[in-house]
Amino acid sequence: MNSISEIAKKLLDENRVSAVVGYSIGSLPNKTKTVIVKSSQQAEKLIFNNLCVNNLAIYLTKSFRLTTQKPVAVVMKGCDVKSVTGLIQEKQIEREQVFIIGVKCNGVSEDGKNLSPKCYSCKLQTPKMYDILVGEEEEKNIEFKNPFSDVEEFEKKSLDERWNFWMNELEKCVKCYACRQVCPLCYCEKCIVDKTVPRWIEPHTSKSSNLSWHITRAFHLAGRCTGCGECERACHHNIPLSLLNKKMAKVVYDNFNYQAGLDDKAKSPLADFKFQDKEDFIR
Amino acid sequence: MSRIGVFVCYCGENIGRTVNCSEVTQRAAKLRDVVYSVDYKYMCSDPGQQIIKDAIKKYNLNGIVVASCSPLMHEKTFRHAVVEAGLNPFLCELANIREHCSWVHDDKRNATDKALDLIRMMVEKVKKNLPLDTIKIPVTRRALVIGGGVAGIQAALDIADGGKEVVMVEKSPSIGGHMAQLSETFPTLDCSQCILTPKMVDVNSHKNIKLYTYSEIENVKGYIGNFEITIRKKTRYVDDSICNGCGICIEKCPQKKINSEFNTNLGTRKAIYVPFPQAVPNIPVIDKENCTYFKNGKCKVCEKFCDRNAIKFEQTDEFIKENVGAIVVATGFDLYSIEKERSDNYQGYGEYGYGKDPDIINSLQFERLLSASGPTLGEVTRPSDGKIPETVVFIQCVGSRDKSKGIEFCSKICCMYTAKHTMLYKHKVHNGKAFVFYMDIRAAGKNYDEFVRRAIEEDEAIYLRGRVSRIYREKDKLIVKGADTLIGKQVEIAADLVVLATAMLPQKDTVPFAQKLGIGYDKYHFLSEAHPKLKPIETNTAGIFLAGACQAPKDIPEAVAQASAAASKVLGLCSNDQLEREPYVAYVNESSCIGCEFCLQSCTYSAIENKSIVNSKGELVKKVAYVNKGVCQGCGTCVSICRSKSIDLAGYTDEQIYSEINSMFV
Amino acid sequence: MEEKILTSQFEPKIASFVCTWCTYTGADLAGTSRLKYEPNVRIIRLPCTGRIDYNLIIKAFENGADGILVSGCHPNDCHYSSGNFYARRRFIVFRELLQFIGIDVRRVQFAWVSAAEGAKWAKLVNKFTSEIKDLGQFTNYQKIKRDIFLEEAVI
Repeated sequence: MNSISEIAKKLLDENRVSAVVGYSIGSLPNKTKTVIVKSSQQAEKLIFNNLCVNNLAIYLTKSFRLTTQKPVAVVMKGCDVKSVTGLIQEKQIEREQVFIIGVKCNGVSEDGKNLSPKCYSCKLQTPKMYDILVGEEEEKNIEFKNPFSDVEEFEKKSLDERWNFWMNELEKCVKCYACRQVCPLCYCEKCIVDKTVPRWIEPHTSKSSNLSWHITRAFHLAGRCTGCGECERACHHNIPLSLLNKKMAKVVYDNFNYQAGLDDKAKSPLADFKFQDKEDFIR
Repeated sequence: MSRIGVFVCYCGENIGRTVNCSEVTQRAAKLRDVVYSVDYKYMCSDPGQQIIKDAIKKYNLNGIVVASCSPLMHEKTFRHAVVEAGLNPFLCELANIREHCSWVHDDKRNATDKALDLIRMMVEKVKKNLPLDTIKIPVTRRALVIGGGVAGIQAALDIADGGKEVVMVEKSPSIGGHMAQLSETFPTLDCSQCILTPKMVDVNSHKNIKLYTYSEIENVKGYIGNFEITIRKKTRYVDDSICNGCGICIEKCPQKKINSEFNTNLGTRKAIYVPFPQAVPNIPVIDKENCTYFKNGKCKVCEKFCDRNAIKFEQTDEFIKENVGAIVVATGFDLYSIEKERSDNYQGYGEYGYGKDPDIINSLQFERLLSASGPTLGEVTRPSDGKIPETVVFIQCVGSRDKSKGIEFCSKICCMYTAKHTMLYKHKVHNGKAFVFYMDIRAAGKNYDEFVRRAIEEDEAIYLRGRVSRIYREKDKLIVKGADTLIGKQVEIAADLVVLATAMLPQKDTVPFAQKLGIGYDKYHFLSEAHPKLKPIETNTAGIFLAGACQAPKDIPEAVAQASAAASKVLGLCSNDQLEREPYVAYVNESSCIGCEFCLQSCTYSAIENKSIVNSKGELVKKVAYVNKGVCQGCGTCVSICRSKSIDLAGYTDEQIYSEINSMFV
Repeated sequence: MEEKILTSQFEPKIASFVCTWCTYTGADLAGTSRLKYEPNVRIIRLPCTGRIDYNLIIKAFENGADGILVSGCHPNDCHYSSGNFYARRRFIVFRELLQFIGIDVRRVQFAWVSAAEGAKWAKLVNKFTSEIKDLGQFTNYQKIKRDIFLEEAVI
């Protein structure tokens, strides 16, 4: 079997890619960090283990300018590939611009002990799309949990409970926009919050402008978010952003039978319609 | 710096009765940036308009709010007045304090307060209004007509008679379409060819019509006023510039037994042929698949006999470019093919035995049997043995109105032509019996119901209300088993000939064709009109119009009427060098557009395209959306779909609406 | 949680976003037919419901709206063929988001009102106004808006 570093070395030696984006051992225990390997000498840094939680699809967005000349290779888990599918679907990259080193994954962990929550509903331990696949070990059975169980649980709360919950959570937001920066699908060069003519979302932090930002973020990701959970991991104040994202994913799935990140030819559900879409809420 | 003028109209008592106009005027004067505010009895009257014009000059106003009736009523009036005072018309807005205020509220206090709110919203909006110019698009003043059936012919002649050039493209070797195949037409029973062929000749000889037969549309680029068409002129193997149509080649061709498409496979033709004697143009085509020379490399009899050397075996497809300003699509219909289980959504009528038994034919084949120029020279005979059929069963709605077979719609013309068939049959076979199985008789139209009654009462056609379950052969006869639901009994008829009135479908390959043109189609692949009621001629792509049965089943007068309507649309469009449009179109902020193409996907009109931004070295920097102003209709769906707000709609910009919302409540 | 001010004193603020072809014209018809309705609604005219983005609704709440009425052409009647279909999808999702966050979606009403339905418009406004009166002032939202008081109001 080829290891990731061998593959990377070969790709770089043969000059097929401009860089290989992957994971290496981190400076903190139980953490890995991202490396962008541009020469084959450095390729041995590349590893993959169950601590490789983060989604490297972000490095494919335009702001990193890695894909301008040659393709870029990226180490990807099955869940991460969904983001790439989204980026292809939304014309941010072309399939040929990315060389996917797919890894078989038996779940990842933030702390080395507990499985990351996103892994419990994963059906893509082997990536759906890749150029080369790494990892031969058998797929371990991960106990499958309903991805929307926390959404459903939350919906049982009363209106005021929900409102108060979010007011408390969103009050913590300092608008650092880390959630946006880390999201592979928040690739706009100029985000709506940075637009001033007019300013739909006020720049200061207040309950109302925080609410308007988080509504915007969730709504803009509706039908697009693949559930990688990076926004929530990046949030310094542990605001449960995944809960909002999952709610949107659930609505889109329930109403339009659509799941993000599975088909790079599909129309995004909010840029589409069906004559028979429900309208029981319309008078 | 905004200098806004507010002009409050009493509309006689219409507004003044419920809204305290003088109070509103005084309070409006205190709104930020309002430098002048005045009321008047009738603002739309000449003196009223004069007040506005004078104030613009005197107070150097750069934004006008007229608080009066609905903008749908007088927006044009006031904008016109504003122009006369030298201001851009789009710097004038109307606050609707009549229809939306004084007429719908009783309480004077509330109505007055609301009127001020409405004025304040408009004052804030108009501050963000930008001067806009009407969009002018150059127009190539000639048209393309696709399809040479009766609809295409009518549209082409009308446009050409109107003095504009027409390019007509027909895919088969001759124009004429289905109408040329018909025997006689309802409800007058006049001969189809007698009324059509003069028009066909007119098309060919008209100085304004350029005719491409045996040609297809390869590619369509551009937009309203400026289409660039690539036409593929298929290889005839006959040089149409030399051939004089003498027909010697056809006479001498040894390859005789090829099914004639024109005669719906009931007759034969040669390998070099014109589809029918009155074909326009009268220039033969070599059928490559059946030509002995192409099959065996030997023959060339036609070439030997042609004294003008018009036969060109080495000819290849030719591509021609034409520029037009408008397109009329008249591609017509096709019959539901019933002989086999179809691979598409439709299930066919295996139980009726069409295609298995030669005496079960479709109605177009029956037309050919009735036609004086048909394979039997107008004598009604059975295809199997040439015997004159004494009993003919006609079955309506074969395919139509049958959800289980995949078609829910009514093909509209079958009731009429079946009645016609029974009459024509009875006129030719006096002792014959004509039975018709029908579901309902739909004969709405001038002289139509009378016509059906005539078939039943004078020509004694026997109408049975019910469906046929099965047809099978018993010796010389076809046994038709069906139901007569009016008497509630099963019926069995021993027939000599069965005629199936099959459903009308659009021409096959309509979908790739529609995609080439960028026009919509429905689930049956009929081409879609822009609005079912108010824009039945237009498509969603500006500058492309529909005529005839490509849009929905139609009879001849309807197809012709729609063709003339399409022609008048084309002539209207081509009557000016430039097209003027209201400037309510979307525009893109290229610096922040990231090219996700959501706007492009959701644009009903395909008005949004890709545009590549390159740097000074010519390297691609990024791709962004680009709005074609000629095509955009200004709905603003793209604006809502854009996450980074990089696309906006002139006249209804984000800033304008934002200002309205912000000033809505005090 | 929401403080109910005495219904008789409370006049709700209702923002309405409508398309020009159907509902705006329908509201005009209500006027020409002299049908009476509650004066609480303020209409913003847009070309099509397709143009009505979610952030218009958020902004209206931020500005103190107690209820929002969005209306356009019936399905298949859209002047632009499909703008209302895109809008319908958007609002299916957006409504659920509001509900999830704890905003009472009864405060955001969607309707199809055609150019011929002046009476429907009048009825709709009356019904919606009375519903909002029952729900009371949208103090939840208005309170958070007051947290940082930005003087943006005109006048």
